[in-house]
Formats: sequence, structure tokens, C-alpha cells
Amino acid sequence: MTQFILKRLLSGVITIWFIATATFIGMHSVPGDPLANEKAVAPEIRRNLEARYGLDKPVWQQYGIFLGNMLRGDFGISFTQKNRYVNDIIREHFPVSAVLGVLALIIATVGGVIWGALTAVYRDRWPDSVIMFLVVIAVSVPSFVFAMLGQLGILAMNEWLGFSLLPVAGWGSFGHMLVPALVLGLGTMAYLTRLMRSSMLEVTSADYIRTAKAKGVPPLRIFYKHQLRNAILPVITVLGPSIAAITTGGFVVELVFAIPGLGRFFVQAVQQLDYTVIMGTTVFYGAFLVIMVLLVDILYGFIDPRIRVGKVRG
Amino acid sequence: MSDIDNHPLNRKPDETPALAVDNLQVEFSAQGGRVQAVRGVSFSVQPGETLGVVGESGCGKSVTMMSIMGLIPMPPGRIVSGSAKLNGKELLHLPVKQLNKIRGVDISMVFQDPMSALNPTMRIGEQIAETLMIHRGMGHGDALKRAVDLLERTRIPEARKRVRQYPFEFSGGMLQRAVIAMSLACSPSVLVADEPTTALDVTIQNQVLELMREIQREEGMAIVLITHDLGVVARMADQVAVMYAGQIVERGSVDDIFYRSAHPYTLGLKAAMPTASMHVGERLMAIPGSPPDLFSPPAGCGYCRRCDYAMNVCEQQLPELISVGDSHASRCWLQHAQAQVDVDALYQPGASTC
Repeated sequence: MTQFILKRLLSGVITIWFIATATFIGMHSVPGDPLANEKAVAPEIRRNLEARYGLDKPVWQQYGIFLGNMLRGDFGISFTQKNRYVNDIIREHFPVSAVLGVLALIIATVGGVIWGALTAVYRDRWPDSVIMFLVVIAVSVPSFVFAMLGQLGILAMNEWLGFSLLPVAGWGSFGHMLVPALVLGLGTMAYLTRLMRSSMLEVTSADYIRTAKAKGVPPLRIFYKHQLRNAILPVITVLGPSIAAITTGGFVVELVFAIPGLGRFFVQAVQQLDYTVIMGTTVFYGAFLVIMVLLVDILYGFIDPRIRVGKVRG
Repeated sequence: MSDIDNHPLNRKPDETPALAVDNLQVEFSAQGGRVQAVRGVSFSVQPGETLGVVGESGCGKSVTMMSIMGLIPMPPGRIVSGSAKLNGKELLHLPVKQLNKIRGVDISMVFQDPMSALNPTMRIGEQIAETLMIHRGMGHGDALKRAVDLLERTRIPEARKRVRQYPFEFSGGMLQRAVIAMSLACSPSVLVADEPTTALDVTIQNQVLELMREIQREEGMAIVLITHDLGVVARMADQVAVMYAGQIVERGSVDDIFYRSAHPYTLGLKAAMPTASMHVGERLMAIPGSPPDLFSPPAGCGYCRRCDYAMNVCEQQLPELISVGDSHASRCWLQHAQAQVDVDALYQPGASTC
């Protein structure tokens, strides 16, 4: 087990290095630089600034400096936000995104498993048709539409109630998180519902379900003891990529609901070519995802004994 | 008909059969019509007796047993008519709740592929214990202890360690023993074994069959053994029912079937069996043609298109099971008195078996 984790961590480091390098190359091949935004900068000032940020050095040297700093965990100072360390930006804003993302993921997974199981149980009857219709909508409509609809919904509800039950935007309490997390998790939930449905249907016709019936196991027990656990395996598999989809897809929702998450900085940095913030957030997200996928793989082993790693065959 | 159902050796006038099926008809609705998978099957098994049900794939042998146990999906499946009595108690059309008090308790089943018949994410011991917990109201600990006993009973070494393992940690033969252990948990009076050795290699087949025989001797249960392997039937069965196109075409004691075959299909099956004396390059015998389409079963005998001895009447009218001896019956017009055929001379017994 330890060997497995170490191996995966090593390959994770290589992945992150690759992400960092690719981003670095991509970023530097975009025309312009972080200082290009400044209006009418005198050539001397510009030279001074370039010297201060090291932009006057050849790119390969900049790359070397960046790698060295990254190994020390230092991503430097933002170009556009004066006197803010990239590390501070991540430290302040990532927890917001993380809380939102985790909540969205929980909603997506729990919802996907429940809806998927329901559609399979009521196969070809009206609950199945209704849910599958909603799933198609949730998969195909982009999240900013749902974000707006969510806000409109909150407004209408508050108006109807006569008091403010849920805040329309902002951050702070659980009420602030609920609707944004739902909107953020909706696409993934729809995807997981479809996955869970087909997986449940496959399991329903499995031989071991027939065995359980032949043993006289009551239907409800067959459902939760034999079907659910086996059907949930494919859902767990895509949980890793789903975390990626949710955390990186968060910035639209964060923008609409005025949530001070990391996603906004990520997008802004790309627009303004803020080299240090781009590198910092990209590498950070990359590392985060590598760790999440590893965690999912370890979790998988707990649910499916066949792939439990490091266990010796008896 | 009931006089030929009973084994002549065990027959006691007042003994109720462990399982008695009468005129069972099962059909499946499918696109473009209904498949009549089982067309009036009757048989019975006495306690301690083994009935071998033989036939090619799709002849309805598995569907017959599965519908008795309520294991066919309904719809599309439908039990059209008939009855199945387990120790005199009707099984068909029981609500699931009541059926679940019988399945796994009085009648249990061993399946063809042990690799897929067990839940891959549940420990072997838990799967055996589950039956005991549901039906015997045992606590988890007691049920697991009993599971160890059952595994030892089916001669699984290190049973105490094995109960904690998952199906993927067992070999095929071991798994089938575990499945047998599971089916024995509540000492059923009928054990249905659906091709129990087909998925196993030959040496393991032998061990599993031996184990089933031994347990039957101790427990005195009836076994219904579904197979397409005549060799397995010859070893295991007391009574044999040969099925073809959803019907029993011949039935009798194992000696009747093998030495006094009274149906052309049985002869064909026997001829198709490879023997040890075959030469390299020698072609295996096969029955030409294919079984009739059960969407619209023929008016006459389902086998007549493939039969070497077919007569005009075979095409037009379905023969009844005609008694040809004590407990031996054949669904063939050749056996009818009016046919006036010397069947024994026609079949040349012995010539077709080698």
C-alpha cells in the first residue's frame, strides 16, 4: 500500500512538472507580457520593471528561476495586484472554492446515485422518463444559465415569503453556499445519474442478483446489500475527473454569485497575463487534482475488494 | 401418467414427491410475438432421488426450473398454466414474500458459473451467513460460525480463513463448493443444480459431482440436475427427462434412457457424444438441422424435420408421451400401437451408441 502511494506520488510530481512546463511555454508564447497593460510607460520605467521581475532575462533562464522558486513553494508576487503574494491569494481564496466544490461534489454524488438508482428501479415507467428528461437538460444547458435561474429563483422565493430566506449573492453563511453548490454540481449530478442508471441496470441482470433471489433474500435487502455497492463502482471511478470538472468549472458560478473564490483570480490572471498568478494557480490546481484522484483510487479499493492494492492473494 | 413418474424401486404408494411439476407452460413476450419456451412439462422427483434433465441449449430446461423458483423476469415471462408442488405445496403464482420463505429454505439452487453467481464485493462467509440470518433468524456471529461448518462440510480447506475472503480469491472449483455450501445452509428438500459443472474443468467436475452425491446420501434431498452432458447424467441421475423444444420427449430411468432409448432425439444425442475410442480427424456426429422456432411451434412433432424415421403423422399431429415400459415413456408416434413398427429393430440398439 505504502509503495503504491509513493509510486503514485512520484508520478504525480512528474505530472505537475509537466503541467507547469506546458503552462509556462503556452503562457510565454502568447503575445505581450504582464507589463503591456500599463498605459504609456516610459521606456526607462519599463526596463526597470522588467529588470525587477526578471523579464529581461532569456526565457529559459526565467524557466529555471521559476522551477527553483516552485520547489521552495514560492510563486512570487502578482503583477497586477500590487504587493500580493500568489501564495496569499491561494491561501485566502482557495478555501472558499474548496468548500463550494466539496459541497457541490457531495450534492452531485448523492443526487446522482439516488436519481440513477430510482430511474433503474422504475425503468421505462414515468419516474424514469421524467428524471432522464431533466438529466438531458442539466447536461446540455451551460451552468451560467442555471446560475442566473438560481438567482431568479431565490429572488422569487424571498419575495413570496416576504423575508430573505436565502441571500442572492455573496459569501459567509451556509445559506450563501446552498444554491451555488447545487448549480455547480448540477451537470456532474446529471452525468452521474446516467452512469448510475446504466450501471444499476447492468447489475440488476447480474447472476449474483439471481443467486440472491434464489436464496430468498427480500427485494429491499437485495437492493441495498447486493445491487447498490456493485453499481456504485463506475460512479466512484469518475469521481476523480468530476472533482476536476467541478473545481475548474467553479469560476462562472463564483462570478455570478459574487463568491470570492480562487476561480475568478485564475481567469483574470489569464486575461491580464499575470505570469506569476497563472503559474501559481495552475500548479496548485494540478497538485490538488493529482491528490484527489489518488484519494479516489484508495477509496475505490475499500469498496471493491478486487482491486484493493497491496493485498496478497490468498 | 402418475404411475410412470415414480421410480419403480423407491415407489411407496403414499409418498408425496419432493417436487411435482404438472403441465407447466411458460412463455416470453418478445418483439414480434410470444416465445413458448416451456410447452407442458410434467415430472416429479422423490426425496433422495436425482432427476437429470437433458437437452440442448434453448430447449427450456433452465427456464422450467427457474420459473418454478420464480426467477424468470415477469414480464416479459409469463407462467401460462400448470402447477409445481414442493412437498405438496404449490409454488407457482406465490407472492414474492411467501416465495422468499421457501426459496433458499426448502428448495435452493446451484448455478452454472460460480464466478458470476456470487456477489464480487461481499465476503464468501457473509453470503452464506445471509441465508441463515434471513431464514433462521440467526445472529451475525452464529451465522458466520455455521458458514465455517458448511464450508468444511463441502471440504474447503482452512474454512475459518476462507470465510473472510472474497469470491475473486477462490478458484472455480472452490467457488462452486462455496455455492453448494450456501445452497445447503437451510437443509433444503430439493436442490436444483443448473449445469453445475459446465464452467469447471474436468477434474474439478468430478470432485463437485462426487460432493453432491455424498451430501445427497447424508441429507436425503432430491436433486434436479440440469445438464447437456450425458456423461454427467449417466453418473448422477436415477431418473432422466430428455427435453426438446420446450417439451419432455422421453423420460425414464437412467438405464431406460441409455440402453432402451425410445425416442429418435435421445438416439441422436447419444450418437453425438464423443467417445474415447475416436480417431484423430474423425468427425463428430451431429444432429442435422436446428430446433423449431418456438415463436410458432409446429403442429406436429418438433423433431420430425430432423428425424430419420419421420412419418406423415409426425408432421401433422403432436404425439403424447406414450408409455413404453414401467416408468419409461416417449413422445414419439413410432411407439404408438397403430404405427405397427418394430422400434427396437429400427433403432438397432448398440449400433448407434458407438
